[in-house]
Amino acid sequence: MLNSEEEELIIHGRSEYEKGNVEGTLSAFDGIDLHAAVQELQPLAEKQPSKKGRPSNESVHSSSQQAASLVLEALYLKAKSLQKLGRVTEAADECKSVLDAVEKIFYHGIADVLVDNKLQEIVSGAVELLPELWKLDGRNHEAMSAYRRALLSQWNLDNDCCARIQKGFASFLLYSGVEVGPPSLAVQIDGSYVPRNNLEEAILLLMILMRKFYLGKTKWDPSVIEHLTFALSLCSQTSVLAKQLEEIMPGVFNRVNRWKAMALCYNGAGQNKVALNLLRKSLHKHEKPDDLTSLLLAAKICSEDALLAAEGVGYAQRAILHAQGLNEHLKGVGLCMLGLCLGKLAKVSSSDHERSRLQTDALKSLDEAIVLEPNNFDLIFELGVQYAERWNLNAALRYAKQFIDATGGSILKGWRLLALILSAQQRFSEAEVVTDAALDETAKWEQGPLLRMKAKLKISQSIPMGAIETYRYLLALVQAQRKSFGPLRNLPQIEDDKVNEFEVWHGLAKLYSRLSHWKDAEICLGKAKELNEYSAETLHTEGIIGEAQGDMNKALAAFINALLLEPSHVPSKILIGGVLSKMGSKVSPVARCLLSDALKIEPTNRMAWYYLGLVHRDDGRISDAIDCFQAASMLEESDPIESFCSIF
Amino acid sequence: MDTTLDSPSTPETTTNLEPTIIATSRDDLESLKKSQTAIETLSSILPSPLPPSLSSSKNPAFSLLHDSQVSSQISTFLRQPNSGAGDNHLCRWLYDTFQSSDTNLQLVVLRFLPIIAGVYLSRVALHKPLAGFEAVLLALYAHETTSRNGQSITVNIPDLSHSSIYHETTKSTTKNCSTELNLAVISASLEPHGTVRSTRRARIVGVALELYFSKISQMPVGSKIDFCEFCVVWAGQNGDMYKDGPDEPSEVSNDGSGGGSGDGGNGGDDGKSERKEEGRIPLPWELLQPILRILGHCLMGPNKDNELHEAAWGACRSLYARSLHDVNPKAILATGSLLRLVKMAMESNDDFDPTELSKENVLTQ
Repeated sequence: MLNSEEEELIIHGRSEYEKGNVEGTLSAFDGIDLHAAVQELQPLAEKQPSKKGRPSNESVHSSSQQAASLVLEALYLKAKSLQKLGRVTEAADECKSVLDAVEKIFYHGIADVLVDNKLQEIVSGAVELLPELWKLDGRNHEAMSAYRRALLSQWNLDNDCCARIQKGFASFLLYSGVEVGPPSLAVQIDGSYVPRNNLEEAILLLMILMRKFYLGKTKWDPSVIEHLTFALSLCSQTSVLAKQLEEIMPGVFNRVNRWKAMALCYNGAGQNKVALNLLRKSLHKHEKPDDLTSLLLAAKICSEDALLAAEGVGYAQRAILHAQGLNEHLKGVGLCMLGLCLGKLAKVSSSDHERSRLQTDALKSLDEAIVLEPNNFDLIFELGVQYAERWNLNAALRYAKQFIDATGGSILKGWRLLALILSAQQRFSEAEVVTDAALDETAKWEQGPLLRMKAKLKISQSIPMGAIETYRYLLALVQAQRKSFGPLRNLPQIEDDKVNEFEVWHGLAKLYSRLSHWKDAEICLGKAKELNEYSAETLHTEGIIGEAQGDMNKALAAFINALLLEPSHVPSKILIGGVLSKMGSKVSPVARCLLSDALKIEPTNRMAWYYLGLVHRDDGRISDAIDCFQAASMLEESDPIESFCSIF
Repeated sequence: MDTTLDSPSTPETTTNLEPTIIATSRDDLESLKKSQTAIETLSSILPSPLPPSLSSSKNPAFSLLHDSQVSSQISTFLRQPNSGAGDNHLCRWLYDTFQSSDTNLQLVVLRFLPIIAGVYLSRVALHKPLAGFEAVLLALYAHETTSRNGQSITVNIPDLSHSSIYHETTKSTTKNCSTELNLAVISASLEPHGTVRSTRRARIVGVALELYFSKISQMPVGSKIDFCEFCVVWAGQNGDMYKDGPDEPSEVSNDGSGGGSGDGGNGGDDGKSERKEEGRIPLPWELLQPILRILGHCLMGPNKDNELHEAAWGACRSLYARSLHDVNPKAILATGSLLRLVKMAMESNDDFDPTELSKENVLTQ
């Protein structure tokens, strides 16, 4: 037990501490062997008969507890003083001894009535201080242990204190760069979730904090949602983040900022419709109609959907308008989005005149954008695509090359664009060289689309055996891929690069039908149909096979079924038109109608022009027929082996 | 209610980070020998002699890691125009040193990863010989592939409807184990690579950066600052207008060279931004994600260093501006939240110390 002299020293040390004289405190405590005092206090609580029963010797206990309280306070103040003097290692040791002592002295717990405020304050303070001290000392593993000890043992912390420690630990887990490993088995309760690594543990703690906020247990702390945003974005789990944002109580988080953050989340998770709806709210004239990030994001989402492109044009124009002053650096991005939206809009426009105007405007915007953003890789690529789609193949080629140069060939779609442009220029062997170069730069799992192109290039060069060889390799790749990715197939993050097995079989079916190997063609078609029964593509090929074998009814039925599945399937429209054009003048108006329809959707389809020419000729409209044939012959020289939009 | 104070049972693994090796076992002697050989070879490559204290040190690899003079010499060498060539002696040294499979020496090589990756990625578009850098990067990639056994790294996103070690649910205890947790892949599975194929370049560097991040608490500050500086180069975007947080750009007068004028082009930026533009690289997620994790550490890590904090803050602003230019939602969210956290930390000036005891006795004295 402490003698009265020691008690006085402690009280003196405390008063020195409160005056701010920490040296005085330390010298006062130097006169007492605090650790020996702790040792003496040890047996205290063991006599306690039961936790709930009111002990008869309460006064004895309370007096010895007062002594304990005093010793612990001295130890704690010593730690605080050392901390203030920058002697963090010693401070941490003293602070740890407070907790060790508490755990020893009150091994069986303390009855509520006996816990005085002072004691609880010391305990809470020490629990919270210890990890901070270890961090200051650079002892990360000790800090981690102290945090876990604080959160997993029972210290009767109040909500705010516990929340501060949880936040501190979460932030330590996220940013310290020290992998702490899973908690020890002793604390794991059967059936409960045990985090296995830093990110999991940090996210768990932050989510618990978020729940405490909306249950009203602790005061809102804006930094928690920011830590959580960082952690969940890193894991690409922005849809989970969106839910967390949604759960925040109104009044603590600016609603427009919340909508904007949620829109980013949903866009990041590929749920563009939800994202756009949120942006429409936040960009409403009564909210924040000028917010550049929201405008650009909305325009970007709209640029990916022809039906939204018109709306996107509006957002992009507003973005350009507001890209002033400090935001001027974003003007080029706005112009780029405008160009993309206009280009998309052109695809669904109903008149040739309007389409051509929109395309010109789109290219103009993109050209303006590239002046402001000369190193924007996406923009360079888009320019290549847009020029290619307008048949300005030389300009397209220049941008495709520039893209590969600037990205160091690191992005697959650049290689594919270059090969397609070359194929459109009928430079098939060069296109194949590019494809081979791209194959060299690609790991085998991403080679699928390139191999498919290579097969098509072989066909274009009339090397069918080479094409079959390539398809065979592609099939082997697909099968290997299915085996090795088997268990994780559901993960959307892995889905991207996969080769589509259906496409391979279908491509082979088309190839065999070209070679008039009808049996093989039908086998491949059957395989394709197993994978996708209702596909306009396979029905289309089936029709071609039927037509080539002279079974016009079967062919027509297949083409019409394809159209029923996909009303805007251009190749089927053209072939129905083709079949009908051979059936005499009675059905020629139907043929003409279908072909014109096809040309509305794909004005550069040479087969459509050709068959339309045939219909006009057979009906005796010679000059119309000449025009159509002329268009067909001009276009013939410039068909890429796959459509340019297939790259996305 | 009782306050039970359970015994502390947290025997977590603590790795020993003691900087000195006491050469007692044969392994230690061998590692000492390896370090000394590495230092000898290095001294034949660098122009000026190495400080003699290095080889006489008790733990030469540790001294080498933290010797700023040697580091700056190596850094200068790595930044030279033809530094990445296949026959470059320093690259050879870095490769051999890493392959020595001595963990302390491997840390020395990792210390230079920011410069290697930085110079390498920025030079790819310039058609310069880079086989030397690639060899080092592939060695790091292969090391990570082996130690992970090629496996992906996943994170189970917790769902609070299950109770966890930190919370309990009030719902019935019959757990429905089939309720699937959200599984997130934070680093996909690794294929072995013998060469750097251009479409795998970002992944290879990204994995090397993941390795760097796993050792980042042992990296000297200088290495992290190098990293932050390259982030600005890679972003190719000036982000000074976001000094006041990501939400509202602001004019920040900073020694007269205020950066409100956007990215380069305007000629007012003493050619510095032009240099930045040159190194701008594509930032796919497989590269950006590890970059952001490292940046999070540099900006918010437990050991505060003012110079590092400034550099990381600048990098974060640049990457935020870049993510706006790419309209990349995940990057906007991640960098934006870091910028907001910095702003909050700067604005909270209150001296409230929750671990201070209340001064009830002051009044009585």
